[in-house]
Amino acid sequence: MISRYRRRRLLNAFNLTMAVLATVFGVFWLVWILWTTIRFGAGAVNAALFTQDTPAPGASGGGLRNAFVGSLILLGMAVAIGAPVGVLAGTWLAEFAARRRLGAVVRFLNDILLSAPSIVIGLFAYAIIVDPSGRFSAYSGGVALALILIPVVVRTTDEMLRLVPGSLREAAIALGTPYWKLVTRITWKAAASGILTGILLGIARISGETAPLLFTALNNQYWSTDLGHPIANLPVVIFQFAMSPYSNWQSMAWAGAFIAVAFILLLNLAARMLLGRRRPRA
Amino acid sequence: MSATPRIHTRSESSETVAVSGIGAVKVDVRALNFYYGRFHALKNVSIEIPERQVTAFIGPSGCGKSTLLRTFNRMFEIYPDQRAEGQIVVDGEDILKSRRDVALIRARIGMVFQKPTPFPMSIHENIAFGIRLYEKLSKAEIAVRVESALTRAALWDEVKDKLQQTGTSLSGGQQQRLCIARAVAIRPEIILLDEPCSALDPISTAKVEELIEELKNDYTVVIVTHNMQQAARVSDRTAFMYMGELVEYGPTEGIFTKPSKKQTEDYITGRFG
Repeated sequence: MISRYRRRRLLNAFNLTMAVLATVFGVFWLVWILWTTIRFGAGAVNAALFTQDTPAPGASGGGLRNAFVGSLILLGMAVAIGAPVGVLAGTWLAEFAARRRLGAVVRFLNDILLSAPSIVIGLFAYAIIVDPSGRFSAYSGGVALALILIPVVVRTTDEMLRLVPGSLREAAIALGTPYWKLVTRITWKAAASGILTGILLGIARISGETAPLLFTALNNQYWSTDLGHPIANLPVVIFQFAMSPYSNWQSMAWAGAFIAVAFILLLNLAARMLLGRRRPRA
Repeated sequence: MSATPRIHTRSESSETVAVSGIGAVKVDVRALNFYYGRFHALKNVSIEIPERQVTAFIGPSGCGKSTLLRTFNRMFEIYPDQRAEGQIVVDGEDILKSRRDVALIRARIGMVFQKPTPFPMSIHENIAFGIRLYEKLSKAEIAVRVESALTRAALWDEVKDKLQQTGTSLSGGQQQRLCIARAVAIRPEIILLDEPCSALDPISTAKVEELIEELKNDYTVVIVTHNMQQAARVSDRTAFMYMGELVEYGPTEGIFTKPSKKQTEDYITGRFG
């Protein structure tokens, strides 16, 4: 008895140590990344960053205004397309196809799309929009990002709706509620904060995507809000500036990276707060 | 018929007419069979449920009492592998074969579940939601109906100052009374209660039981309960079910004091179940 107990204690201590070490290992890199971004980026942030556009090669000064605005436009387009499509598709999966074979197939395909390399999505958007239209454009970038956003939103909407207890659906049906009203008035409402969180996390996911934008929105050194033309955007600017030989471009890339990380952090915090507000009691 | 004439009843006069003399029959179940996929869950059940009385279904877990209750509003239809055969006649109409919109059937037959199920909206909206499904009323008229429903459910005094708070902010017992109010608000004729007190503390249970007593003045109440004392306290008639069959059905007092079947006696004396 005693020896078994000792063995169990030892095994427990060993496993606990390994688990802690693994956690430390993971967090270590994360903290390092954040710290590096802050160290090089925070110092490079200044007012000009938000008021001036990206400078010409060799020129001094300049900022990232066009890239920030461009990125927001791209995100806006992606959300405008991706969020409604994702929420509706997720609703169909959870509410109308839950027990159907077709639903399982679609859910599986969506999971594949969810893990599809973003460069493939970029290539796809290039092939169906950029190539036929003959030029890189903001809207092709928006579509590419939307295609990455959709499976994220589908997945979270589906999962959040399936978390809504069946008893709530039964209660509504027992009142004679038509199914569409049950979905729009009750289950969506019950899952609202979860669905919104999914959209926010999806935005966080696409806000750093670079690969699909290289094929689509490309980049623009100048101020532009024309959706039919290439548009400046933060990830590609960071990529180009960080690779450049100019030290002012490099520090601007760090500043951009810092802002991007701060933006994603804020989105995640917002998502957490939304989720926390839910379930005051289960 | 499972009920036999020799059952004791509260009033002497009804003794000889225990089967058909139960007053007006509100729900007449005839040879009902129910299947979950291949599983035969209800076996040839026939039962007459009297109007404006409380009928309790008792029996061990899995005996089919909830299944039977859930056929009355065709709740099972939302699950594709469940089906019912037979007849359930409510006011002369077989609701299983009715061509009418099932929502209209459910409007006449309210249901309250084991766990309280307040909708994710305010207390006021929880009640108003159901009313608006069937009637187009002004705000003032809705407010009157909401108040009367909450009053009927003995909840008005506790919530009248916080109608705009969410339904989930209430205690479990209050939530359950909110659900009863919600069912009552659309003016059904029958109220089905599926173990309405199993998630409640004794004080809340007592309140809900008092309420059931009140409800039978206007509604036909059918209650499924695990709690035999509860069945004895609140019901006029009790049906004992076992393994998908209706074993015995009759006036509550008779079932509990002088059951005619051995299985019933074993169950109510705690020998099994």
